[in-house]
Amino acid sequence: MSGAELSVTVAGVKLKNPLLGASGTFGYGLTYEKFYNLSLLGGFVTKGLSLHPRKGNPPPRVAETAAGMLNAIGLQNLGVDRFIVKKMPRLRQIDTAVIVNFFGETVSEYAELAARLDALDGVAALEMNISCPNVERGGAAFGTDCKMTEQVVTACRKATKKPLIVKLSPNVTDISMFARAAEHCGADALSVINTLLGMAIDIKTRRPVLANVTGGLSGPAIKPVALRAVWQCYKAVKIPIFGIGGIASAADVVEFALAGAAAVQVGTMNFVEPGILPRLVRDVGALLDEMGVKRFTELKGAAHGAG
Amino acid sequence: MNCAVLENRPLAGGFFYLSLKPDQPFGAITPGQFVMIRCGDGLDPLLRRPMSVADFAPDGSRLGLLIQQKGKGTELLAELQAGAHVDVIGLFGNGFDPPRGRVWMVAGGTGIAPFMGYVQTHRAQAGSLTVFLGARSAESLLMRDVFERAHVALRIATDDGSAGHHGLVTALLEKALANETPPEMILACGPEPMMTAVAALAARRGVPCGVSLEARMACGFGACLGCVTKVKGPELYVTVCQKGPVFDAAQIEFGL
Ligand SMILES: Cc1cc2nc3c(=O)[nH]c(=O)nc-3n(C[C@H](O)[C@H](O)[C@H](O)COP(=O)(O)OP(=O)(O)OC[C@H]3O[C@@H](n4cnc5c(N)ncnc54)[C@H](O)[C@@H]3O)c2cc1C
Ligand SMILES: Cc1cc2nc3c(=O)[nH]c(=O)nc-3n(C[C@H](O)[C@H](O)[C@H](O)COP(=O)(O)O)c2cc1C
Ligand code: FES
Repeated sequence: MSGAELSVTVAGVKLKNPLLGASGTFGYGLTYEKFYNLSLLGGFVTKGLSLHPRKGNPPPRVAETAAGMLNAIGLQNLGVDRFIVKKMPRLRQIDTAVIVNFFGETVSEYAELAARLDALDGVAALEMNISCPNVERGGAAFGTDCKMTEQVVTACRKATKKPLIVKLSPNVTDISMFARAAEHCGADALSVINTLLGMAIDIKTRRPVLANVTGGLSGPAIKPVALRAVWQCYKAVKIPIFGIGGIASAADVVEFALAGAAAVQVGTMNFVEPGILPRLVRDVGALLDEMGVKRFTELKGAAHGAG
Repeated sequence: MNCAVLENRPLAGGFFYLSLKPDQPFGAITPGQFVMIRCGDGLDPLLRRPMSVADFAPDGSRLGLLIQQKGKGTELLAELQAGAHVDVIGLFGNGFDPPRGRVWMVAGGTGIAPFMGYVQTHRAQAGSLTVFLGARSAESLLMRDVFERAHVALRIATDDGSAGHHGLVTALLEKALANETPPEMILACGPEPMMTAVAALAARRGVPCGVSLEARMACGFGACLGCVTKVKGPELYVTVCQKGPVFDAAQIEFGL
């Protein structure tokens, strides 16, 4: 048993430990109940919800790349109404922080979703996925245009009193500008990062592997990029950061904390090792003991030095 | 789950048979279910590979996999020696229905894997089971002895005519469906063009047909939504790892 204190409080949400399942890799949480007791986790973030159910993209939707994978799931989800009826009753019984991820295609869809979710008991916080195309603005992602980011975060902030987490896209020139925009418009925390836009081509068929042509790159391959993004955001804002991207070991978790993350989310590695999150809870405890660190919170931003 | 490699037997044409002993038995297995196997212990290749359970001990204390070498994952598996260890999770998916009346199984390539377990599990009904086996040539006919020992009827087609019918296994099936009393069930596992043809032939003769589909899978257990196939009806896409891999052929939109 580790002696180190792992609990953290992020944007007013108390977490048993800093390890959460990342959106889109964790279903609605319940998928992992056959592997372990979810109350071992700091929490998890649900698959992104939209106002109406979405059927997603045609297959193939996934492709493996060196130490990573591409996905173009197309945000398939059951829609907020069925989520509330079918999943929330069970989720309320689990003693862990349930964070609901959501997205829209217009500013008003985002705001309506934030308002619907605001009323939900048992939801610890909301996470906005802004890496989605804005259909009113020719399909450019909300999260790659600072003005659109400001608009959509402002609208959601007005619609909810729950802790609001903005999940940033790495597909921008200067992520710290987006971090500042989100903080300025009322975000309580940031999730850094979403997937990197990529693609793969099958040399036999001479065609893109994914039916959607492009997809989001995730997994250990993106860790250095994610760590750099967390580092830059930590320098730019005061609100807490969930570090995300390629985390596969206790050392990775500590690295993200040193760069400035208050907690972390694990995505792709859950596919490879479904029991990885409870393992990392144990391994991080053991690693802190070994490092002589008494509280996980002591690590936050320590790599930035005193100045 | 950690599994010890009992045997890795090379077969013709880049195929090999891997026999595994898990630390704890997997429990009851339905033929057609699959496992997700880790290839090497590094981060590249990253994702596990889906593999049908070929044959098995009834309590899941031994699993046999029939694998075709394709790319970097299966290359690593091909190198495993007896005594080595591999990390396997499962069992996943639904598997094939038990026989109702006479069953014709149609297999191409590694598609015969689940039928090895099928004929063993349902050996009491061996007299009503027929396997249609397709391969390039006589020497690449896999696991022929398993089916002969199980006393099921075996019909063979080879591309070069070196054994059985000269031509595609689906042509053999077409001829049988035209000239004989059709069976109560057809089951198919193999390359997509083969399954598309089998599904069409079965539909024409009004025979219920179960097909085991392949899809690119990141997780194998319903978390990524990566493995969908297109179905007829309002749902549009369903996950192969959870709702399949065996589907009623009449539900599937083939030829994506
Ligand atoms: C339910 C199911 C059961 C299967 N059973 C068997 C079996 O019993 N024996 C056997 O030899 N093969 C089986 N396959 C196919 C097998 O999973 C692939 O051949 C294997 O993943 C190829 O990996 P690789 O690293 O050698 O090839 P690579 O080409 O390097 O693979 C790259 C990526 O593509 C994926 N991929 C490549 N080909 C396929 C394919 N045909 N289907 C799904 N994903 C693919 C891989 O999983 C990997 O993510 C099955 C597939 C499924 C979905
Ligand atoms: C298959 C898949 C689906 C995803 N779906 C979502 C989603 O619906 N909403 C979202 O905000 N992020 C989604 N993500 C991004 C992850 O939450 C995470 O930000 C990203 O994968 C990087 O972390 P990782 O390298 O640990 O996977 C998805 C990722 C994957 C691999
Ligand atoms: S492989 Fe992930 S949902 Fe089927």
